[in-house]
Amino acid sequence: MLSYIFRRLAVAIPTLLVLVVFSYLVMYAAPGGPFDTERALPQEVMANLEAKFGLDKPLVVQMANYVWNVVVHFDFGPSYYYKDQTVNDIIAQGFPVTLTYGFWSFVVAVVVGMSLGVCAAVYHNSWLDYLAVGVSIGAQVLPNFVMAPILVLVFTLWLGWLPGGGWQGGQWQYVVMPVIALSTSFMASIARLTRSSMLEVLNANYIRTARAKGLPMRKVILRHALKPALLPVVSYLGPAFVAMITGSVVVDMYFSTGGIGVFFVNSALNRDYSVIMGITILTGALTIFFNLVVDILYAWIDPKIRY
Amino acid sequence: MALLEINDLAVRFETNDGIVSAVNGVSFNVNEGDTLAIVGESGSGKSQTAFAAIGLLARNGHATGSVKWDGQEILNLPESKLNRIRSSEIAMIFQDPMTSLNPFMRVSDQMEEVLTLHRGMSRRAARVECVRMLDAVRIPDAAARITMYPHEFSGGMRQRIMIAMSLLCRPRLLIADEPTTALDVTVQAQIMKLLRDVQDEFNTALILITHDLGIVAGSCERTMVMYGGRIMERGPTEEIFETPTHPYTLGLLEAVPRLDRREEVLPTIPGEPPDMMRDVRGCPFEPRCPLRIDRCTDDTPPLERIGETRVRACHRSPEEVR
Amino acid sequence: MILSRKKVRDLETADLGNAVDGRSLWADARIRFFKNKAAVAGLVVLVLVALFAAFGSFLAPWSNEEVDWAVLGQVDTMGRPSLASGHYFGTDELGRDVFARTIQGTQISLMVGLIGALIAVVVGTIYGATSGYHGGRIDNVMMRIVDVLLAIPYMFVLILLLVVFGRSVLMLFVGIGLISWLDMARIARGQTLSIKNKEFVEAAHAIGVRPVTIIRRHILPNLLGVVIVYATLLVPSMIIYESFISFLGLGVQEPSTSWGALISDGASQMQYGTLWMLLFPLFFFVITLFAFFFVGDGLRDALDPKDR
Repeated sequence: MLSYIFRRLAVAIPTLLVLVVFSYLVMYAAPGGPFDTERALPQEVMANLEAKFGLDKPLVVQMANYVWNVVVHFDFGPSYYYKDQTVNDIIAQGFPVTLTYGFWSFVVAVVVGMSLGVCAAVYHNSWLDYLAVGVSIGAQVLPNFVMAPILVLVFTLWLGWLPGGGWQGGQWQYVVMPVIALSTSFMASIARLTRSSMLEVLNANYIRTARAKGLPMRKVILRHALKPALLPVVSYLGPAFVAMITGSVVVDMYFSTGGIGVFFVNSALNRDYSVIMGITILTGALTIFFNLVVDILYAWIDPKIRY
Repeated sequence: MALLEINDLAVRFETNDGIVSAVNGVSFNVNEGDTLAIVGESGSGKSQTAFAAIGLLARNGHATGSVKWDGQEILNLPESKLNRIRSSEIAMIFQDPMTSLNPFMRVSDQMEEVLTLHRGMSRRAARVECVRMLDAVRIPDAAARITMYPHEFSGGMRQRIMIAMSLLCRPRLLIADEPTTALDVTVQAQIMKLLRDVQDEFNTALILITHDLGIVAGSCERTMVMYGGRIMERGPTEEIFETPTHPYTLGLLEAVPRLDRREEVLPTIPGEPPDMMRDVRGCPFEPRCPLRIDRCTDDTPPLERIGETRVRACHRSPEEVR
Repeated sequence: MILSRKKVRDLETADLGNAVDGRSLWADARIRFFKNKAAVAGLVVLVLVALFAAFGSFLAPWSNEEVDWAVLGQVDTMGRPSLASGHYFGTDELGRDVFARTIQGTQISLMVGLIGALIAVVVGTIYGATSGYHGGRIDNVMMRIVDVLLAIPYMFVLILLLVVFGRSVLMLFVGIGLISWLDMARIARGQTLSIKNKEFVEAAHAIGVRPVTIIRRHILPNLLGVVIVYATLLVPSMIIYESFISFLGLGVQEPSTSWGALISDGASQMQYGTLWMLLFPLFFFVITLFAFFFVGDGLRDALDPKDR
């Protein structure tokens, strides 16, 4: 098991390095620098600024410095745009918010999606099954940026139950809509995936064996069918996580939750390269870490995988 | 009183293309310690007969008629009542040992749950019993290997595990559905010997479902031949082999390769197995039967007794068949 | 994000469009497809949407850039959808005709979807077929690269590219296409691995046909079925990506627009009671995605009968 984890890490670390180098090169190749403003700055001010941020050194040195700082000091450097803030400050500000509703969205998508999928498969061709199929087909065409306005329209403008945005330290009223908006389409995908793989498993010979043993249906499903049925769902969790991180940008923009997504979009518009890079690398690292966790989970469930 | 008494059993499946009637008017008894072989080609309804008896039909299947276990009607009983009989009184082993064991569970967990469920044993006691049973079916080093996963065993070993698992509660009837089909020939012989041994040792009644007449001869006292969901012929195995009274049985026997005859071409039964969606009028074997007469097309031959122990369903007389 | 892992895996192993049976298989598939009501309905919707995008502007009295000064300042009353004013779908908050803008948004969204999918399919198929055909170490390295790229949060990279190289529709096409070829590559590789072992490929190999020719003449035609199915399912994903980016204001630039940009505009105005700005583009967005999914599923069922 341990060697398996090490081997996965051996892939993960180069991936992260590729990401860092790639984004650095893209930034370096960009026409125009971060200090190109409407009014051209005097030559010596430019030089001073570049010296301050280390931009006067050769590319390789710059990059090595950057990687060194990120890896050793976990320091993404200063923001080019918000002059008195470092990238770390910005991440520290937005990340907890994103993490909070991201966590809940993930939990909702996984728990509700899996339960719905399992129930739909067990009660195949019942009203519950049709409901689950209907919901998951509908949610397929309702990505987060469509869900968000619809939710605000219904719950804020028509019913007036929930505030249309803000965060307020994460009180529940402010968390509900971001979580629903972010989790719906993934919940639907997970439900669909669980349902179809559960249906497949329920037709397997070993399920017939389990029933022939006289096990009650509840035990057949929990002990015999659940693990194999969830395998494809587990391998979907990695991509779902990536897509959720991406979707958090919409949530942050639309609900003004103050998460990391707002900073990302604003820096994108302001060409604040260090913040963009910092956030890209951070999410990349998170994604890679999460994929690692998923791989280990997968290996743990499926005894046929040799570590 | 017979242990298992099946009367006029019929099984139908609702499919997208219409209703398929897989079993029609099947009746037979199995007594304590009996051995019965049900023989027929695939699609003859032999497996579905057994599945219907213990309520393991697929969702779209429906059974009518009567199945009595120990004098009690058990056909279409609710799952919760059937579960008390399954495995503890009627156990089943399946065709494909590769897929019939749960690949995601340790063998120990799969076996122990039978005993904790039906006998209320502690897991520790169940483990001891399971290892003993694995020893009995000659799994080497059972105590150590019981915690392995099914894919770590060979096909023959897995079928031994299935047999051990089915015998844990000392069932009074064991239904073996093509237990050797998926195995190598040498392993087949071992498994059949094992089945005979455990049958002797535990005095379990055995229903052996197979398409292979070769393995029936030495292992079952009685044989029932099925075709197109109906019984063609039933009786003591020796008599069936020596004096078949149905053209289908005759065809099956001729199609078995034999070492004592030199033939250029192995005789086969021409034609295809019946389309079960077709009208159930007439004898199902009629289209392929070399001895068919006009009556066979519309008039389903009834089961008739000949002698004390045999029944057959054919319009031709037994003498004509031979 | 829409195409699940499982689907990808199924497609990798699916037995689609085996050209050995040639024409009869495609004829068969066509019959099966037209028996599927949802798929046919989807196809009809797609045709209608395409017609709307192509010829809708002939029906529009207003262009997408014109500002109707008469409604400006009182959009919630004067800018309502009406036949009399010629604003069939109403106007937006700047007095521009939503009908004309929806037509333009539909054009751009469909175009991004189709071209993005095309790029993804071409790049992915060639990459996957090459990797699968060569096998061994080359295959190993090529697929490891795909694995590495799959672990990168693509949307962030795309936004990075858009920011750095300027926000143009071209960049959007290329960017979206280039991040979406990875799954296609895996599917094409899986299929190639199975086709590669068929007799006709071995025969071609035995008589000394060059690998490039074998891939082009024997492998690619046999991949067609899978590729078509995947491409149909890829288009809606592309549309969603584009809309996502435009929703954030990082995609198509004014005065051009797309469904995502229109939905974003409409959503920002809905507290003023001007719901038509949101609902009309949303309607087109939703029915088009539905239609693509149904057509894609229908095609898959039609080309792979055993899957049902």
